[in-house]
Amino acid sequence: MAHSDPEYDDQGADDDDDVVVPGRGSRSMVSRPKGRAQAKWEAAASRNWELQEGADGSLEGVLGGLEEAGKRKRLLKDTTPLQRGIIRHTLLVLDLSSAMNEKDLRPTRHLLTINYTIAFVREFFEQNPISQLGILGMREGLAIRVSDMSGNPNDHISALKQLRSTEPKGNPSLQNALDMARAALYHTPSHGTREVVIVLGALLTSDPGDIHDTIKACIRDRIRVRIIGLAAQMHICAEICRKTNGGDENCYDVAVDEVDYRQQLMAITTPPVLRSTDTEAQKNNQAALLMMGFPSRIVEEKATLCACHGNLTRGGYLCSRCKAKVCNLPATCPTCDLTLILSTHLARSYHHLFPLRNWAEVSWKRARQKGSVQCYGCLSAFPAVPAQYEVANGDEHDLLFARTKRAEGASESSRYECETCGNHFCIDCDVFCHEVVHNCPGCQSQASLPGADGDGEANGG
Amino acid sequence: MNAVDATDRGAAQEDIEPPSLLTIILDTNPHAWAVLANTLPLSKAVANLLVFINAHLAINHANRIAVIASHSERAEWLYPTPAHVQRERRTGTSHDSEDFEMENGDGDGDSLGSGGPVHPPDDANKYRPFAQLEHALLRNLQRLLATTTPAAISSHPSTMLAGALTRALAYISKQTTSTSSLTSTSSAQFNYSDPSSMAGGNSADPTGTSRTSGGSSTALTSRILIISVSGDLADKYIEIMNSIFACQRLSIPIDVLKLAGSPIFLQQAADTTGGIYLSLETPQARAGILQYLMFAYLPDQTAREHLIVPGEGEGVDFRAACFCHKRVVDIGFVCSICLSIFCEPLADGECLLCGSHLSMANYGQNPVVVAKTKPKKGKKRMLDGGADTGTSGGEGTPAPG
Ligand SMILES: [Zn+2]
Ligand SMILES: [Zn+2]
Ligand SMILES: [Zn+2]
Ligand SMILES: [Zn+2]
Ligand SMILES: [Zn+2]
Ligand SMILES: [Zn+2]
Repeated sequence: MAHSDPEYDDQGADDDDDVVVPGRGSRSMVSRPKGRAQAKWEAAASRNWELQEGADGSLEGVLGGLEEAGKRKRLLKDTTPLQRGIIRHTLLVLDLSSAMNEKDLRPTRHLLTINYTIAFVREFFEQNPISQLGILGMREGLAIRVSDMSGNPNDHISALKQLRSTEPKGNPSLQNALDMARAALYHTPSHGTREVVIVLGALLTSDPGDIHDTIKACIRDRIRVRIIGLAAQMHICAEICRKTNGGDENCYDVAVDEVDYRQQLMAITTPPVLRSTDTEAQKNNQAALLMMGFPSRIVEEKATLCACHGNLTRGGYLCSRCKAKVCNLPATCPTCDLTLILSTHLARSYHHLFPLRNWAEVSWKRARQKGSVQCYGCLSAFPAVPAQYEVANGDEHDLLFARTKRAEGASESSRYECETCGNHFCIDCDVFCHEVVHNCPGCQSQASLPGADGDGEANGG
Repeated sequence: MNAVDATDRGAAQEDIEPPSLLTIILDTNPHAWAVLANTLPLSKAVANLLVFINAHLAINHANRIAVIASHSERAEWLYPTPAHVQRERRTGTSHDSEDFEMENGDGDGDSLGSGGPVHPPDDANKYRPFAQLEHALLRNLQRLLATTTPAAISSHPSTMLAGALTRALAYISKQTTSTSSLTSTSSAQFNYSDPSSMAGGNSADPTGTSRTSGGSSTALTSRILIISVSGDLADKYIEIMNSIFACQRLSIPIDVLKLAGSPIFLQQAADTTGGIYLSLETPQARAGILQYLMFAYLPDQTAREHLIVPGEGEGVDFRAACFCHKRVVDIGFVCSICLSIFCEPLADGECLLCGSHLSMANYGQNPVVVAKTKPKKGKKRMLDGGADTGTSGGEGTPAPG
């Protein structure tokens, strides 16, 4: 603990700078007091973009490009359909130790964590509607239960809201938390994942026994642990994550600022890719084809008793198999034990199965060839294709490139092309379609796809 | 007149109700309209729709409208007019990108997408925005119908609803973003799962959802109205569902006016997004389409909070389409890896979508889902992951009876 303090302070100071220009401005590390090697978390902190002037000295184009490049960077990932664990059992472990009183994240680590966690819970159930989540806390050396394993986001959110008024105290204990999480996940069915996500603000763990035994037990139980640090890297955390994730080094990271913290937390809501060992385990457990009912909602003239609580209600859902009435979905039919679910719950995960392919950057040449003047999705106008491009001699050519020099990853013509349907889109639609709708407006709007080409060419010349 | 509109808007917005963007998706599937030809021909429906659109525009001068046709083989904009259509019309003039820029700037200036430079015939008896819209919409519709080949009609019996919805959403998203960046800071953008919409570290209110759903008073509220005549939508099940979830996430209600065809997915869409679903099954009801439009669909979200909206006391059909035959089922078999739905146990035990080997031995097994029973707080042990007792096997191998 003692030797990590300077690092810790250093990090705090960094974040202070950061609040002024969060995540975006250039930041130099010259004020670093000692000449020691840059820690990993520092490297991440200083990895920010250096502002580069465009060749003509203007920042504007480059800045616009930067923003687009940033948006793109987040998009350019996992479009190969991987097997993902869509039925998840996740325990979120929050640090409630005194280290969470630090104010390096505003307003305090504790309050920020609670706020972010509430957003996390919402997003988690948005992305994983038939999954279960539970929340634990680490306070005064103990693991405490914040909310039970449940699939109802409101349970968790109200429990989290109550946490706001409590004071973080004492030391955290990773071992106790892991043991409690293990116990909670023990009875979860094998066709789902078992995950533990720990948010750790402290730089220590005070454990009653040998934590390595606990790690081994976690591996045995197929529990995957991910940790988000708020201060600095700790060896034991890296070890826990590496060992429980089959050697994967990417499951432990330290958040450098609020934005990064939120980003890391939200990244966890994406269903995890299944490792081959999991797939094998699932094969062994043979739990693959589930029978589910998709009941329809009814409204009744007169109130009748529901099968789940025995309350008089006027309406509900009728079990597709035995016609027993249940109040809410998803549920297990109390009479015939059929799993009842809204098909919309399942449908929410489909975009992970059929991800939308990344769109390609469009060069001026291609833009001219296609003659696209307007985003196919939102009808907003593109910047005009420079008129003299083709007749350009060398000089003009360079000038053109200088003028449109943009950050790495951003398209020079501000157009992005879906390679399936050949339509051009703006960056906003690119982000929107990949992050929110998961459909390509072009592909969905045309029954015969390759025919799209003739359309734009008419006005190209 | 338009110019006055445009300058006024910014100031007027502060104290009056927020502008609302209504995106209408008109199902123009020729097969379905042919069936309806005797009771409600398309031309009559469009005439009624125009009255409704004018009413929407008249309610608040900042209100906006967009109309998309979900045709049999493509989804196309009816209003605002897409640029390439505008271009093709002006065949006599030179075609330059600069030229386009100019006219587009013009289009933006007057009440955002007035349909561009299509000049309606001057009619002193008609409010100009109405005339302009009507002209643009009808011309685009005529163009759409004129360019539909008999081959396309016979080969595509359905409608491109998924595409229309996706284009509508992209448009709404852009309009909302540009409106909010005009009226307030750029941070009030849509809340993608994208964490950088939080940039600025405003930790006080990180619950992005509250921002989108609550909406500041200046924000553009959007809704989608689908006028549907086609029945069979199962072959685009995933895409339609994706669009529906996007709407739900962005708090955009999908209103549905069903004139014919089976209701399943659109009813779910309306229910999921909090929109209104009405089905006009009889010719008498269809004859009164304008009244339905005016009374059920004209009020926007803010007004609906104070109204008793139709359709609330009705059941909703939540059946799903199976992935293997596009059959609509109420009991299905779900792959636990990818959650795809099949209507019958698979013969070879391989999931058709993800290829995982699915055990047939215990296909009736229950996944653990939420037990909605109120847990007795404080009494329960932590170990209630499987609150429904059927699945409490040892060491993760539940062995249900
Ligand atoms: Zn009940
Ligand atoms: Zn039943
Ligand atoms: Zn766009
Ligand atoms: Zn496409
Ligand atoms: Zn089937
Ligand atoms: Zn599968």
